[in-house]
Amino acid sequence: MRHAIETHGLTKQWGDLVAVDDLSIRVEAGECYAFLGRNGSGKSTTARMLLDFIRPTRGTARVLDGAGGDPNIRARVGYLPGDLNLAGNTTAHEAFMFFGSLAATPDRRRLDDLIERFGLDPTRPVRELSTGNRRKVGLILAFMGRPELLILDEPTSGLDPVLQEEFRELLAERKAEGATIWLTSHVMAEVERVADRVGLIRDGRLARELTMADLRRQTTGRVVFTFAGRTDPAAFEGLPGVQEVDAGGEADELTVTLNGSAAAALSTAGRLGATAVRTERRDLDDVFLDLFEESRR
Amino acid sequence: MNPAHVTRVYAQWFRVRLRSTISWTLGLAAIVAVTAAFYPSLEGVFDDVEEGGGLSSLLGLSGDIDPSSPLGFIWTNLYANVVPWVLMAFGIALGGAAIAGDEERGTLEYLLSKPVRRGEVLVARFAGMISILAIAAVVSGVALLASAPLFDLTTAMTATAPDGSTTTNPGIDAGNVAAGTFAALAVGVGTGSTAFLLGAVLGRHGLAVGIASGFAIAGYILYTLSNVTGSLDALTWISPWRWYVEDAMFINGLDWDVALPFVLAAVCLAVGWWSFLRRDLR
Repeated sequence: MRHAIETHGLTKQWGDLVAVDDLSIRVEAGECYAFLGRNGSGKSTTARMLLDFIRPTRGTARVLDGAGGDPNIRARVGYLPGDLNLAGNTTAHEAFMFFGSLAATPDRRRLDDLIERFGLDPTRPVRELSTGNRRKVGLILAFMGRPELLILDEPTSGLDPVLQEEFRELLAERKAEGATIWLTSHVMAEVERVADRVGLIRDGRLARELTMADLRRQTTGRVVFTFAGRTDPAAFEGLPGVQEVDAGGEADELTVTLNGSAAAALSTAGRLGATAVRTERRDLDDVFLDLFEESRR
Repeated sequence: MNPAHVTRVYAQWFRVRLRSTISWTLGLAAIVAVTAAFYPSLEGVFDDVEEGGGLSSLLGLSGDIDPSSPLGFIWTNLYANVVPWVLMAFGIALGGAAIAGDEERGTLEYLLSKPVRRGEVLVARFAGMISILAIAAVVSGVALLASAPLFDLTTAMTATAPDGSTTTNPGIDAGNVAAGTFAALAVGVGTGSTAFLLGAVLGRHGLAVGIASGFAIAGYILYTLSNVTGSLDALTWISPWRWYVEDAMFINGLDWDVALPFVLAAVCLAVGWWSFLRRDLR
């Protein structure tokens, strides 16, 4: 198996609304692919098509070299929905036993380990749990069978920072064991530490695909020069490698955003008598917004 | 189809619905027992009911049923109306919840992310609906069997006409209760199956319950008004009440008409299967 997920021209349309439009992606086996987009951009619709909850208007989706509706394929997939709903007064423990039994005999040691890691009380009815605790139940259900492919819709939504860290560790463990991970998010920083590749979806269309290395390069491209007095930003505009110059900070500072080599900017700053220089890490969410602005254009 | 999956999904739904099953079942059993308890004190109340009129059709009176006899009393007060109505209402609640209810709450989608087929879930829920209805029906029948001897309902009653002639009406026996309970269950299964079908096709709980309830009420109104006015008689064949009341299986024993709701249920399951396996989840 080369591709854990493969879609070709995947399209879902309801009347005039095109929720997913001509989506073609390939996720390699063992890869962690983050599907990023704003609310309503088509992330969850894509996940629902991968698992055959809804059928494509056009195009195809294959999961683990098979159809998402095939029980033999689903037995190898762990799924976390955006909002986990379980019937009636089902307790977390009953849910683990029931859903676990549909795939195989539940591994009690694995289950106990996950319950302990997430600090969950499994005896309470799921519908009485807080949003965060329901999320824990969903994550344990997704991870308990050691699935080959994890499809996680907004996995850390509702989790506190400590549990987010626990989730990332769990994800890293599964990835180290060879599992493929496909997750959706609208928070770039959330995926920074776990994803290998990012797909940006906007209005149902795949706007960009980048590796995390590409993204990280974009986060380090801001340099702040301090001068003895006010300096005209025009001196940096149009220089090779300079994307933007901002004089909006301290009166004696200029912030230069780079999209290439820093040589010309450094040379000019030296010529103008810069007294100090520091680099600033851009917030990943800023990069996320910039990329969406680019894709809009 | 994996029988182990069907069994697990069936058992899980049964557990989820256990509380409401107990409530409906005990409620129906209580209605049966309380109604039976009124028998000794209602002698003569039905003397003025005119046979063949609108009131008599509402009460299920036809042919030579004497509403003051044990069989006639239980038929007119329970099995001609209350028991099938309660089982119909319970059937609609179960049929609506089976697919569409869980679909609207989002619980069905999560179940279908596991290695179960849609058809397995459909069959398990359909079997669950029928068996839960059967439990409610059987317990109500047992409640009648247990309470009947306490209120003189098992004793044959001899009535003397003004001309001095006498008629002996038998008391209730297990055969009457079994036949009446099975016929009422059949009506509940047929009506519940329409709600099940609508839920499987539409995925909308409110619509499924609303339309199925509308059909059930319209069928009753159509039958009773047709009896009063004598018009639209040809249309009453779509109402289960036509065969249910006229056959009066609680008194006369089972006949083949009781198979009609089960045929309808099989058609509902088949059409629901065809649609549910093809459509998008909501």
